[in-house]
Amino acid sequence: MMAEQNGGVLVVGEVDNAGALRPISFEMIGAGRPLAESLGQGLAVLLMGSGIGEAARTLGAAGANRLLVVDDERLRDLTSEAATAVLTQVIQNLNPTVVLVPGTTAGRDYAPRVAARLGVGLAADCVGLAIEEEELVAVRPILGGRVQTVVRMPGSRPQMATVHPGSFEKAAGDGAAPEPEPVPVELNEAELRVRVRETVQGGGGSADLESADVVVGGGRGLKEAASFGVVEELAAALGGVVGATRAVTDAGWRPHHEQIGQTGRTVTPRLYIAVGVSGAVQHLVGIQGSDYIVAINRDPDAPIFKIASFGIVGDLFEIVPALTAELKAARG
Amino acid sequence: MALNSVVLVKQVPDMNAVKIDRASGKPVMGGQNVVSSYDAYAIEEAIKLKEAHGGEVTVISLGAPGAKDVITRALAMGADKGVLLTVPDPNTLDTLSVAQALANQLQAMTFDLLLAGQGSDDYEDNHVGPQVAELLGLPLVSNVNSVEVADGGRHLTLQRDTEDGRQILEVDTPVLLTAISGLNEPRYPSLKGIMAAKKKPIEQVAAAVEPAGDRITWSDPVAPERTVTGTVVQGVPAADAAKQLVGWLKEQKLI
Ligand SMILES: Cc1cc2nc3c(=O)[nH]c(=O)nc-3n(C[C@H](O)[C@H](O)[C@H](O)COP(=O)(O)OP(=O)(O)OC[C@H]3O[C@@H](n4cnc5c(N)ncnc54)[C@H](O)[C@@H]3O)c2cc1C
Ligand SMILES: Cc1cc2nc3c(=O)[nH]c(=O)nc-3n(C[C@H](O)[C@H](O)[C@H](O)COP(=O)(O)OP(=O)(O)OC[C@H]3O[C@@H](n4cnc5c(N)ncnc54)[C@H](O)[C@@H]3O)c2cc1C
Repeated sequence: MMAEQNGGVLVVGEVDNAGALRPISFEMIGAGRPLAESLGQGLAVLLMGSGIGEAARTLGAAGANRLLVVDDERLRDLTSEAATAVLTQVIQNLNPTVVLVPGTTAGRDYAPRVAARLGVGLAADCVGLAIEEEELVAVRPILGGRVQTVVRMPGSRPQMATVHPGSFEKAAGDGAAPEPEPVPVELNEAELRVRVRETVQGGGGSADLESADVVVGGGRGLKEAASFGVVEELAAALGGVVGATRAVTDAGWRPHHEQIGQTGRTVTPRLYIAVGVSGAVQHLVGIQGSDYIVAINRDPDAPIFKIASFGIVGDLFEIVPALTAELKAARG
Repeated sequence: MALNSVVLVKQVPDMNAVKIDRASGKPVMGGQNVVSSYDAYAIEEAIKLKEAHGGEVTVISLGAPGAKDVITRALAMGADKGVLLTVPDPNTLDTLSVAQALANQLQAMTFDLLLAGQGSDDYEDNHVGPQVAELLGLPLVSNVNSVEVADGGRHLTLQRDTEDGRQILEVDTPVLLTAISGLNEPRYPSLKGIMAAKKKPIEQVAAAVEPAGDRITWSDPVAPERTVTGTVVQGVPAADAAKQLVGWLKEQKLI
């Protein structure tokens, strides 16, 4: 049991519904490690879920001092009430200085609840974190990603923040592999009122969006669902996956879970190719962590060209098939 | 059966009119104040459920006196009554302050469904819905894009998209749902609706709020620096453009 009152930094990891670690789990350690070092305190990582023993050991080896595990079948879907109960109890036991929660669908549900339960501040969806004068300093984008603000929580203990996916380096591991510490928590049945009946996995390999090396994003410039064929062929030629803008998912041309951007997913590939995408700020926040951005658009003034490393101005219906053919030829 | 809903609506500056001042990097809000976009889905859903199952739709907004306009808009869409919680200076409130003030008001009301937007257009915290649920001890389902009512309004089947795909969830009312695009098509108020709204009641109450104090502070927002100098190919045949891009991809060792 954790009786120590040592402060420290607590980060939370997350598994998907198949029990595999989400990539952001490693980013959480990458975000938390420097804070713990600045504070001269330890870094603890918490993983909650069901049947997560192996995932927990993998995560612990990524560079945490302590590995806290709450393995309970009632946490399989990480509903907000269950996760709130668990994280609140862990915080009350551990008494950390800083708590970082992944900015995932689940994390963004339970982190605000925990902050409200504890009566502390919460910095939302942060892209930068540092310690200044023993206090957490959090940078977060607002107004659709166009501007940033710096948030501090001097009167809060712990100081809490959710972390924007794709904003921090993934921790590679330092060899230290702390023993998993099972944490007993109380879950009140009356608090488990939301039931996930089923999860229908989206087709098209989109589960790989976050971890893909190459993502081809299609926008309204494609005109209709049927023309996504050219995007799929380009993605296939590059060994990549397909994503979309909200204009496209709202129109029903692609499933909602392929939406990239502020209200969709965040991708951090080596290469992002934007096809018929204007480059609205809400889309850009989801792709700005890409190493290289290529844009294909017929409007030379489209904002996407402002952040593209390579742009082609022209008709996508001519350029994309030519590009796919050229890639295939180059491969031989 | 009847299904009574309360919808939380925030007034925000029109995001399409926000400009960044080049010299200072500071945002300049032009344009009008509007209903935060996800809140429109929440209002629409409440009205649709009322039309299908009966009941009453109440809209609550916390803000400066001008926030009355977003309530009037919701009434014109078809909501029945509004509550405006006025605060002298909304800028001193963090999301927990706002959630506490809303929860104080809601404590005295009865409802089956409490609806909010997933996140506001301007500050995008995505906190207020979950925090109101927490303070009222309600279950929460966020990012909802489909609502089905069963068992006389006592039970809901909901859908939402997560990182894992489409989730189908079951919950009994009362519950707090946060709405996202795809849930419905928010209607434009009809002329008749606009006229009718004038006769609908809006209660104005001074909000019971506690400022955030040093629980959380934020700096004036500024635009981050951006450095991009890319190659742009223009006015060449598609095949040549494709060749140049493939050459560049090779140079960067991307293929
Ligand atoms: C609160 C909020 C949240 C949002 N969240 C997101 C989000 O998460 N993700 C997201 O993507 N958007 C989001 N949006 C919407 C965003 O503001 C834009 O409306 C959207 O990204 C535009 O999508 P698009 O680029 O596909 O379409 P458009 O802006 O219509 O752009 C289409 C582009 O295709 C080009 N084009 C047309 N025909 C051709 C052709 N034949 N060849 C080449 N180019 C062509 C055009 O020049 C144009 O630039 C959000 C908006 C709000 C208000
Ligand atoms: C630059 C800046 C940065 C900030 N950063 C933070 C931060 O990191 N953490 C923090 O706690 N606060 C922060 N705040 C304060 C926060 O923006 C305010 O408390 C705001 O009033 C509520 O947050 P939101 O707009 O992000 O709402 P969200 O939590 O995104 O709102 C979600 C939904 O809740 C409902 N809702 C929200 N506000 C109201 C309202 N006034 N009336 C009725 N319904 C409402 C709506 O349905 C809305 O769609 C910041 C403020 C500024 C100016």
